[in-house]
Amino acid sequence: MTSKIVQLLKPFTSPKLTIFCLGCAMVLVFLGTIDQVNIGVYEAENRYFRSFFLFFTPPHMDLRIPWFPGGYIVGSLLLVNLLAAHAARFRLSLKKIGIVLLHSGLILLLVGQLFADLFVDLESQLRLDQGETKNYSESFYFDELAVIDTSGADSDQVISIPASRLSKGSRIDLPVDGLRIVSNDYYPNSALISPSQLPQPGYPHLPVGPMAVAVQLEKTYKQNERNLPAADLSVFKNDKLIGSWRLAAGFPRPISFQAGVKKYEAVLRPKRFYKPFAITLIQFRHDRYAGTDIAKNFSSRIRLLDPSRHEDRESLIFMNNPLRYRGFTFYQAGFDNNDQTTVLQVAKNPSWLVPYISCALIVIGMLLQFGMHLLSFVKRRVIA
Amino acid sequence: MKRLIPWILGLVLVVWVISRMLPPKDAHGLDLNGFAKLPVLVGGRVMPMDTLARLSLSGMNHHGTYTTAGRMVEQPSQGLLDVMMMPEHSDTAKLFEVSNQEIVDLFGSQDAKGQFVSYSFNDLKPYFSEIEKQAAMATQADSETRNPFQRGILKLRDSLRLYLQLKNTIQAEDSPDFGKEIEAFQMVIQPGIKAVRDRDAGKLFDNQDFERIVLFTQRYQNLSQAKYAFAIPSPQVPEENDGWQHVSQALLSAIGHGQVPYPVLAYCRMISAYRSGDIVGFNDVVREYSDYLSKTIPQKLDRAKIEFLFNHAQPFLQAMALYVIALVLGLLSWLFWPKTLGKTVIILLVGAFLIHTAGLIVRMYLQGRPPVTNLYSSAIFVGWASVMLCILMERFYRNGISSVCGAVIGFGTLLIAHNLQLDGDSLEMLRAVLDTNGWLATHVVGEALGYSAMFLAGLIGIIYIVRGVFTNSFDEATSKSLGRMMYGVVCFATLCSLVATILGGIWADQSWGRFWGWDPKENGALLIVLWNAIILHARWGGYARERGLAVMTVFGNIVTSLSWFGVNMLGVGLHSYGFMDQAFGPLLAFVVSQFVVMAIGCVSLEHWRGIKARGRRKESDIPVLTTDAVQP
Repeated sequence: MTSKIVQLLKPFTSPKLTIFCLGCAMVLVFLGTIDQVNIGVYEAENRYFRSFFLFFTPPHMDLRIPWFPGGYIVGSLLLVNLLAAHAARFRLSLKKIGIVLLHSGLILLLVGQLFADLFVDLESQLRLDQGETKNYSESFYFDELAVIDTSGADSDQVISIPASRLSKGSRIDLPVDGLRIVSNDYYPNSALISPSQLPQPGYPHLPVGPMAVAVQLEKTYKQNERNLPAADLSVFKNDKLIGSWRLAAGFPRPISFQAGVKKYEAVLRPKRFYKPFAITLIQFRHDRYAGTDIAKNFSSRIRLLDPSRHEDRESLIFMNNPLRYRGFTFYQAGFDNNDQTTVLQVAKNPSWLVPYISCALIVIGMLLQFGMHLLSFVKRRVIA
Repeated sequence: MKRLIPWILGLVLVVWVISRMLPPKDAHGLDLNGFAKLPVLVGGRVMPMDTLARLSLSGMNHHGTYTTAGRMVEQPSQGLLDVMMMPEHSDTAKLFEVSNQEIVDLFGSQDAKGQFVSYSFNDLKPYFSEIEKQAAMATQADSETRNPFQRGILKLRDSLRLYLQLKNTIQAEDSPDFGKEIEAFQMVIQPGIKAVRDRDAGKLFDNQDFERIVLFTQRYQNLSQAKYAFAIPSPQVPEENDGWQHVSQALLSAIGHGQVPYPVLAYCRMISAYRSGDIVGFNDVVREYSDYLSKTIPQKLDRAKIEFLFNHAQPFLQAMALYVIALVLGLLSWLFWPKTLGKTVIILLVGAFLIHTAGLIVRMYLQGRPPVTNLYSSAIFVGWASVMLCILMERFYRNGISSVCGAVIGFGTLLIAHNLQLDGDSLEMLRAVLDTNGWLATHVVGEALGYSAMFLAGLIGIIYIVRGVFTNSFDEATSKSLGRMMYGVVCFATLCSLVATILGGIWADQSWGRFWGWDPKENGALLIVLWNAIILHARWGGYARERGLAVMTVFGNIVTSLSWFGVNMLGVGLHSYGFMDQAFGPLLAFVVSQFVVMAIGCVSLEHWRGIKARGRRKESDIPVLTTDAVQP
């Protein structure tokens, strides 16, 4: 029985497979770095590292031909290879302890990253003007159609629909009041211009307001630009049309409608991540070196308000010193609006401890391994 | 006697180089060095006038010198002295260099067919509006898409602006006698303030006093538009840089407290003395002002003085010279008198290394930082660490190979550093995110150590291939010891780069809330780790022997150079402090050259002269897999 398992594992134990996987990883990392110039870090991450395959689309064709294994496949193969090699050849000996520690650290790192990948919240941003308070952060990449039930006395009910699901012709049934949303048209990225700026009279556009129309743009992947979708939506209640509206993320002003007795608002806006606590910006500081414009430090003095945990305190966020609270990390990412607005990046990573443990294992393992090499080398030298 | 030859030869050369490090004697009795040591705040840090002079001049022309209208090449600080105190002199000096023919054509000059054409400020005066116009258009183009003409015109415009700012650093350049002007200003302050107060209170006031003080105020407000270098220190807060003032700010605040600060008066007296050719008087004021500074801001003055000596010593250039000599002698030692020359090479290498070390330590003292803070200092440090590794290895192997490696890498990295230095102040202040000595000392230094080991391994690989393919002197013992050297260095590189990359991840987690973000610089470090893992597994698995190891370490050079410089050229990511857009050509040339060496290394063994000389045909005949090979 055991020998059969060993037989089965054999192809996966080869160091050749290790080298192959590491080589593939190098190609992936190289391409995924170069391509960031064109598609930005987020999209590159998705295409190269959080994927099963790299795809090639021949020009003018609607084909996706896989041509190279993506990060998931390479990582899993490497994991299998590591596990199999150790399972097949595992012998407990002092000489091997370094190697074993090193590789178990690697296994932990790979598994931990995979886990983090599956469960971690997307990174989001918290933009605060001086004195402003917010209990949510906003995605930098994604937008949502928020349908808000405003009839509650002291709280709103928000239904969030990812903007990517609003493609032309799609129908979305809401879980309340028999509401249905139908998309008549959808631009993944748009610009707002005045109606008189249209290139020609019949140019396709969505009239968003009396002063503005949305026209479609190419999707952008630039580092400091975001896509601003626009949509033409109709709302139905029990198959009866309530109304049609044109919404644009570049102009996130809610429209309101009545469905039965309830009052609703709808808005296309950056996807929000609500937090069980609120943050107020007390002061943002941008220190420069004397006589220059070189930034010396950015810092945000904030007030953290969490009634459920009886917290109401001030805190200072600055470079290399984020605020960590309830599993979230808030770090100083930027500023805007003539130093009046702070931009905090918000990350949530429940498996943040894993890399620390695996790194400790790897480092100890490597020091042992190479230390023993060095020792035997020096010994031989001394004898010679 | 014969045993002494290496020592005599080595020490003579080292002493010769050290003798070149002393600052020059003052010519014509003028205390130029005294002026050059005076502190001034530029770019957020206090530097000596000497550094300001060097930085400014090297921005204006490629050799960074001050050549007067009479074609005399003077010290950079002499140039700055003229610009600041006798601008009518420096206006005629050919300071501004143009290398672009289209810009030269813009000025309609016929005599220009060389590589660089130099103009004086006065030569360019008629074209100022044209230059401004062209530069304004060039700024509208994206910085990546600018053509050489646009880049050149922007550089020229910036040089001219800098020149104007420098002229107005300690005086208003249009003042016929700034000392007299300040005297007049001092007389006006008290009555002027009284007139202003009376007027505000609705009382009768002296209109003449009022108009005078308003005139001076407007004049110094205009002057403050030229502020770039801040020469007036603040004795109240000797440790901080925030109190330093431009001369205009000092004069404006003098209106508030009624007294012109002493440093302004000292500079005025210097100007008067210098303009009237009163050398003794000038020297007296410089000494008096230095005494004042040594009482008020002793630490800043000391640092400025040390930086002045450092500028003149140019330790990295001197070390570079010794590395070259060591390299030539080292290569000769492979052919002739291996013992005598080999020993000389080691003495030279150690001498160069000590000078290199001294330079590194002084830089750390001046900046108050760990050794690596920007690309320039990373090059210095990578070279330093490689040379140290080589000296240690030479002690073990004593085969003259490590010392040659040390000389090559020492010279190469210092040459790279020298070229990077032309971009500006190499002791610049750090961007906000880097302002943490703990991580700079561990993560950044660790990465740099990894780079050094990678290049060292790659160089041994190159030597292995070149000697094996082209020379007869490649015996089995050499082959084996080169193989062991490569293996050991790769192990060290793996350790350093893996630990440093992990530390980088922890830094990222601490400050950005995520361990790994696929940022280009992170990926570059990861590529090095992956490639090292491949090399080690290939060796442990028995797929790569010495020749394989050599070819793979040469590829390691490519990976390292891309990770070190290449990712900075992408211009994306969070590690924005090291961005650069030049040097793409040299990097590409380096990568291609490494591929060529690899191709040579892959040539069939039948064509390896070194192997043929041994009468062997197959590589497998050479026992390679050593007993310490490890299988997981």
